[in-house]
Amino acid sequence: MATMRASSLDFSRRSLWTQLGSLPWGLILLICAMGMIGVAILHSATFTNPQEAGLPMRQATRFGIALGVLLVVGLVPIRWWFWAAWPSYLATLVLLVAVEFFGTTGGGAQRWVQIGPVGVQPSEFMKVTLTLALAAYYHKRWSDFSGGFMIHLPALALIALPAALIFRQPDFGTTLALFASGGILIFLAGLWWRVIMALGVAAIASVPAIYFFVLQDYQRERVDTYVAQLTGQSVNVMDDGYQIEQAKIAIGSGGWTGKGYMEGTQSQLDYIPEQHTDFILTVLAEEFGFLVTSGVLILWMVILGLGLAIALRAASLFARFAAAGAVATVAFYILFNVAMVLGLVPVVGVPLPLLSYGGTVMITTAGCFGLICAAHLGRNEPLNTGA
Amino acid sequence: MSLKRPIDGLFSRRALIAAGGGTAMFGGLIARLFQLQIMEHERFEVAAAENGVRLDLAPPQRGRILDRFGRPLAAHRQAGRVSIVREQANDLTGLMAELSKHLDISPERQARLISDARRQASFQPVTVKSELSYEDFSRLSVLAPSLPGLQVEMAATRSYPRGRDFAHVLGYVAKASEADLERLSEDTNAQERAAIRRLFKHPDMRTGRSGVERYAEDWLRGEAGFRKLETNAAGRIIREFDDPSLSPKAGRDLYLTVDAELQKFAIDRFGEESGAAVVLDIETGDILAFVSTPAFDPNDFVNGISSKDYALLRDDVEYSPLYHKAYDGTYPPGSTFKMVVAAAALEAGVINPNERVYCPGHYRFGNNTWHCWKKRGHGSVNMHWAIKGSCDVYFYEIAKRMGIENLADMGRRFGFGQRWELGLTGGRSGVMPDDAWKRAARGEPWYEGETLNIGIGQGQVSTSPLQLAVMSARIAAEGKIVTPRIIGDGPRPDTDIPFDEPLDPEIMQRMKAGMYGVTSEAGGTALRSGDLGLGGPRLAGKTGTSQVRRISAAERASGILKGDNIARRLRDHALFVAYAPHDDPKYAISVVVEHGEGGSKAAAPVARDIIAEALRIDARRTPSYIRTASAGSASGTGSGAR
Repeated sequence: MATMRASSLDFSRRSLWTQLGSLPWGLILLICAMGMIGVAILHSATFTNPQEAGLPMRQATRFGIALGVLLVVGLVPIRWWFWAAWPSYLATLVLLVAVEFFGTTGGGAQRWVQIGPVGVQPSEFMKVTLTLALAAYYHKRWSDFSGGFMIHLPALALIALPAALIFRQPDFGTTLALFASGGILIFLAGLWWRVIMALGVAAIASVPAIYFFVLQDYQRERVDTYVAQLTGQSVNVMDDGYQIEQAKIAIGSGGWTGKGYMEGTQSQLDYIPEQHTDFILTVLAEEFGFLVTSGVLILWMVILGLGLAIALRAASLFARFAAAGAVATVAFYILFNVAMVLGLVPVVGVPLPLLSYGGTVMITTAGCFGLICAAHLGRNEPLNTGA
Repeated sequence: MSLKRPIDGLFSRRALIAAGGGTAMFGGLIARLFQLQIMEHERFEVAAAENGVRLDLAPPQRGRILDRFGRPLAAHRQAGRVSIVREQANDLTGLMAELSKHLDISPERQARLISDARRQASFQPVTVKSELSYEDFSRLSVLAPSLPGLQVEMAATRSYPRGRDFAHVLGYVAKASEADLERLSEDTNAQERAAIRRLFKHPDMRTGRSGVERYAEDWLRGEAGFRKLETNAAGRIIREFDDPSLSPKAGRDLYLTVDAELQKFAIDRFGEESGAAVVLDIETGDILAFVSTPAFDPNDFVNGISSKDYALLRDDVEYSPLYHKAYDGTYPPGSTFKMVVAAAALEAGVINPNERVYCPGHYRFGNNTWHCWKKRGHGSVNMHWAIKGSCDVYFYEIAKRMGIENLADMGRRFGFGQRWELGLTGGRSGVMPDDAWKRAARGEPWYEGETLNIGIGQGQVSTSPLQLAVMSARIAAEGKIVTPRIIGDGPRPDTDIPFDEPLDPEIMQRMKAGMYGVTSEAGGTALRSGDLGLGGPRLAGKTGTSQVRRISAAERASGILKGDNIARRLRDHALFVAYAPHDDPKYAISVVVEHGEGGSKAAAPVARDIIAEALRIDARRTPSYIRTASAGSASGTGSGAR
C-alpha cells in the first residue's frame, strides 16, 4: 500500500512530456485513421452538391479540434476527474433543466441552451458526466457494498433523472444512449442475474405501453415503418420507409468490393436523405463494398477493445468504471447507427462516431476517448477516498 | 495487484461478458451486411439500376414587370406544349409520323425536329409545338401514355398583356441563342458556365433580348431549382416529391414608372401616324409615357417569330415598327430648340431681352440668304415675341452674336448630346455640334454660317424625343435639374448627371413666359392648342418643324411643296414640346409626329390631349411600389407628395 502511495505521488510530478509519451498512442493513431476515413467518405458523399462543397474541410477541422479535446481531457489527472465528477454531473443537470425553460428549438426538438455567445447541447455533456458520476458513485460506495441489490437503485436514479429530462426535449436517441451506457455500468457493478432477467421480461412486456403512451406521433411512425420494412411490406408511401429502402439498395448494390470511390450511383445522385450525417455508412458500403465496410467495423471493435483493456488494467474503481462507461457510450452509438442503417432497428437520429458529419458527436467521442486516456495515465492511482 | 478485492474480479468477469455481447452484436451487424451486400446483392443491384429518383431541372418563374400602379405589363400564362424526348422514344421517325396525324407539321419541319432531337442530349426534350389549342392539348394528353417519348405538358409562357403598348420599353424574351449564352456567361467560371447553358437549354427558359427584359435579366430571372421525381425502369414518372429546399426561386417583380393607361391613351391618340411621345413628371423625372408608334407585338417573339413575319416588320422602313423612336430616334429639334438658343444668348450677355431685332422675312450673312418661315417677316420683335412667333431671323441674329461654343454649352446643360441611361437597351445621344465635334467627325473647322442653322434647330443638331422632354421639364422646373428615369422599383442604373448645375431661374422664367405666349397670347404659333379643356389651367409649349430634306432656292421661289403634292416620306416632321399646367407645372411632354409637317397643326394637338389626359387621371400620383408613411398621408388626395 505504501509503495503504491509513493508511486502515485511520483506520478503527479512527472513532466507533461513524459505523460504525453505515456499516452496510449496505438489507440490514438487508430482513432486518427478512423477520422481520415470519415473525411474521405464525406468528400465522396458531398462531391456532387456544390452547396456542400466545404463540408469535408470543415469536418477535418473539427476532427483536429476533437483531437485537441481528447489530449486535454486525457492529460488531466484522473483524480481531478474524480473530484469533478459530482459537480459536473450536477451542473449538466442544471443546464438540462434550463433547456426545459429557456432552451431554443432546432429541428422540432428543444435541445439547445444559450450560455453567453455559445449555444450548448447539455444532453451531449450528460453522456460524459453521467459516466463520471456513476463511476464516482460505485467507487465511493464499494466499501459498504454487501453484494445486495439496493446499491444499484441510486445509480438507476442518477440515470433516470437526466434521461427523463432529455426524453422530454424530445431526444429519443440520447435517452436510449444514457440508459444503454448507464445500464452497462450497473451490469459491470454486478447486478444480480435474476434481477437482470426480471428487468428483461419487464422491458419486453412494457413495449406496447411505451409505444402507445410514451412515444410521440413521429416516433411512433418511425417504429411503424421499421416494423413494416422488417416484415417486407411496401413502405414507399412513407418518407422514412423510403429512406431505409434507398439505404438498403445503396448498401446491397455495393457487393464485395463496391462501385469505386465517388462512383456510387445511389450516393452521387442524392437518393439518400441525411446521407452525409446519419446515413454516411451507405456511401462507404456502396462505394467500397463488403470487405472494406466490415473492415471499418472491425477497426471499431479493435479501438473499443483497446479501450476496454485500459479499463481492466486500472487500479481504481473510478478509472475502471469511467473508462468502461466511455467505451459503452461510443459502442452504443456505433451499434445503434449501423443497425439503423441496415434496417434492423427503427430510424432514430443516432450518428456514427468519427464518420458522420457533425461537430457534437465528434466532441462527445473525443471526450470519451480522453477519459479512457486519463484512465490509462492514472492506472496506478488507487484514489482512496479515505486518504 | 488490485485483484485482491472481490469487486475487481467481478468487474473483469462482467466486462468480458459485456465485451462478448458487444462482439456478438458487431458480428450480427457484419452478418447482416453480408446478407445485404453479398447474398441479396443481385436484387439490390437491379433495384439501383432501375432506381428511382431523378432530379429534373426546374426553371424559375421570371419576375413580372408592372407599371407604376402595379398593372402587369409582362406576366405569364399557362400554355400547352408538346415535345419529344429521344431517350424515351423507341422510334423517332415513327413517333413523328404518328404525331403529324394529329398536328399539322410540314415534312421539312418533321425532318428538322428529328435532327434537332438527335443532335441534342438524349434526355433533352425538343419542343414540337408550344401554343397548343385546348383541343390539341387534351387529345395529345390522352395519346401520350401509348406513345413513349411524347411529352405533353402545361408550361408557363411569358406574356405581354398590353401587346404593342410597351413593345420597345419592355423589349421581349426569346430562347437563348448561342450569342445570348455567350453574353449571359460573361465573367463566369467553367462550372457556372455549364450551369447557365444547362438552364437556358430548358424548353421553358427564356432570356431578355432587348429593353428592360434584357437590362434587368438578373433581377427578373430568379434561381433554378429541381423537381425530384421517382421513376420506374422505363423512365416514366411515378410520383413527384415535394421538397421545398429544391424548388426554384421565382424572379423579382419590377416596377416601371410608366402609367399604362396614359400610355394607351397616347398611342391611340396618334392613330395611324408614326411618331414618338415622352411624358415626364417634372418633380421626380419619372417617365409616365414612353411612346413609339407603330410598334411590334412582343408576344410574337416569345416562341420565336417566323422569318416571314419578321421581314415584314424589318422592311417597313417608312413606319419602322422595330425602332424605338422615343429613345433611339434622333431628329433636328427645329424651333423647339429656340429656348435653348435664347437662354444661351442671355447667359452670354449678347442681347438684352427687350432689344428689338427687325425681321424682313430673310437674313443676309456673307454671300448667303437665310429665310424666316414667315415670308412677309415678323417686323420688329423682342425676345418674348420672337419665341412666341418663332421668328427665325431673331435667332439667326443672336446665334451669330454668341457663336457656336456658347450655344453648344447651353445645349449640353439641357441634356443634349448625351445618352440618358434608363435601364433599357438602346438610347442615342444625338448630336450637339461644335467646332471640336466637327473637326472630329468631318475633319473640317466650324463655319460661322452653320451656327445660324443651329440657331433655329436645323443642320447638324439632332435630339431624341426623350431629350426634348427633359429640356421642357428643366425649363418648367425653372432650371432645376430633372433627370429622367423609368425603373421605379428594380435595378436602377447608376446615372451620373453631367452638367448637374441648375440653370438660371430668372432666364428660365423668361423662357416659360415665351412658351406661354406660344399657346396663349396673340401672335402665338400654337394658340389653338393652349386650352386643355379642363376649365382653367393652360398648356405652355413650343412648336417645331424638323426638315427632312433641303429646300432648294428654285423650290422656294415656286412655293415649297407640301401635303399631297409630295411623297409622305419627304414631308417634314412635326414637333411640339410643352408643360402643364402653365402656372404650376407638373407634366412635361415632347411629341414628334413623323412627316406631320406643321408642329402647330400635327403635333401640338396630340401633345395637348395627352397632357390633358395625364392631368385628368392624375398619372403622377404616388406609385404603388412606394410603401411609406407618406403614401398613407397622401391617400386623402390620392396624389403624391407636393
